[in-house]
This record gives sequence, C-alpha cells and structure tokens, in this order.
Amino acid sequence: MMFTIGKLASLTSVSNDTLRYYEQEGLIEPAGKSPAGYRLYDTDSARRIRFIKHAQNCGFTLAEIRELLALRGRDEACCGDVRTRAVEKKLQIEGKIRAMKAMSKALDQLIADCANETQPVNECTIIAALERAAVPKPMPRP
Amino acid sequence: MKIEIFFTPGCSECVAVHAALRKVAQESVKDLEWRELNVLDDLDYAVELGVLTLPSIAVDGELVFTSMPTAAQLREALRNRTRTSA
Repeated sequence: MMFTIGKLASLTSVSNDTLRYYEQEGLIEPAGKSPAGYRLYDTDSARRIRFIKHAQNCGFTLAEIRELLALRGRDEACCGDVRTRAVEKKLQIEGKIRAMKAMSKALDQLIADCANETQPVNECTIIAALERAAVPKPMPRP
Repeated sequence: MKIEIFFTPGCSECVAVHAALRKVAQESVKDLEWRELNVLDDLDYAVELGVLTLPSIAVDGELVFTSMPTAAQLREALRNRTRTSA
C-alpha cells in the first residue's frame, strides 16, 4: 500500500513539514512516485515514523535515532547493542536530573535568604547573591 | 589504586576484554583494587562519576576512559598515573 505525504501525515499524526524534515535528514525515503510525480511512501515509512516518535519520547535525539534505525537493519547487531544505547540514554537523563535538582536546591537557598519581599529591588538579597556568586568549581573526586 | 569498569550486561565486547585488561592492570599496579560494575546496579555512582557512555573506566574515582581501551592504552595510562603519583 502506498501513501501520499498528506495521508502518511494523518496516519502517523505528524505534520507534513516534519515528514519533509525526516526525509531531508534521511530518516525516511519515498518508495516511489505517482504518475503525477508526487512522492509516495509505503508502510515501512509509517513504521519508521512511529519508531522515531517512540524513541523521541524516551529522550533520543534524531541523530541517535538514526543510529538505532541503522542497528535495526543490521544483521550482525544484537539486542545488547540497543540495550547499551538505552542504558547510556538513561545515564544522560539521570545526570540531567541530578544537575536540575542541584539548580532547584540553589534556588531554595536564594528564596529562603530573601526574607523581606517588600524591600526595594536594589536591596534584593537574591540579586545581591547572584551578583556575588562565583562560578562554581567542580566537586573534588572521592 | 582502584580501577572500576562500568559495563552493561550483554556487551559482548566487554566480556571478551575484561580479563585481558585486568591482567594488564595486575601487571602494572602493585596495590590494585579491581571492580567490575554493572551500571544498572550502581547507577547513582556512575552518574556521580559522569559516566555517559559504556563501557567506561574510572581510576581512583576519576573517569579515564569513556570507551574500551586497548591493553596498551590502559597500560600506558596506568604507568603515567603511577609515575605522576610517585
């Protein structure tokens, strides 16, 4: 079964522009052309788009998804290769969560230090603290 | 010296070279503490050290290799560290 880009867009709930971008990035490619010269896509394209969307929901970038798609089609690849990439993505996400928690904690301190919100802005303790703040040094290794 | 290899089960590359790397480490370092860590069991520690790719190797709590080194690369890195700390 073949689809026009509009039909493929409605089947996968992705916009035409996004599909053109995927094609430009080599993530999908048309399987043929209609007699009028329109690009046509097959069910494999629809499957790849669903794959891309699920992978994006798990935090993978398009560059990483391209690698996953390549692994998917490589005979010598095994599930362990894909699993390693998933674990690496989890490590990245956990690292970001940790960094964001540290930011949130730093904000807690600034908010707690600002005891009087009616003070004029030029006496604001948050602004003063941000002006004083030195660039943090990396934590010493254990 | 503490050497920690972070790996994920199912990594065929890791299993094949762990023993060879351990042998190199034993030959290069006198007071060796060798640990092989399944990153999923020690996720917090791995994140703390900044492990983002697998396999990775940390020496004395410092990330030194972010991909599997050859035996020669590990030997060289351990020699340099031993020389620096001497």
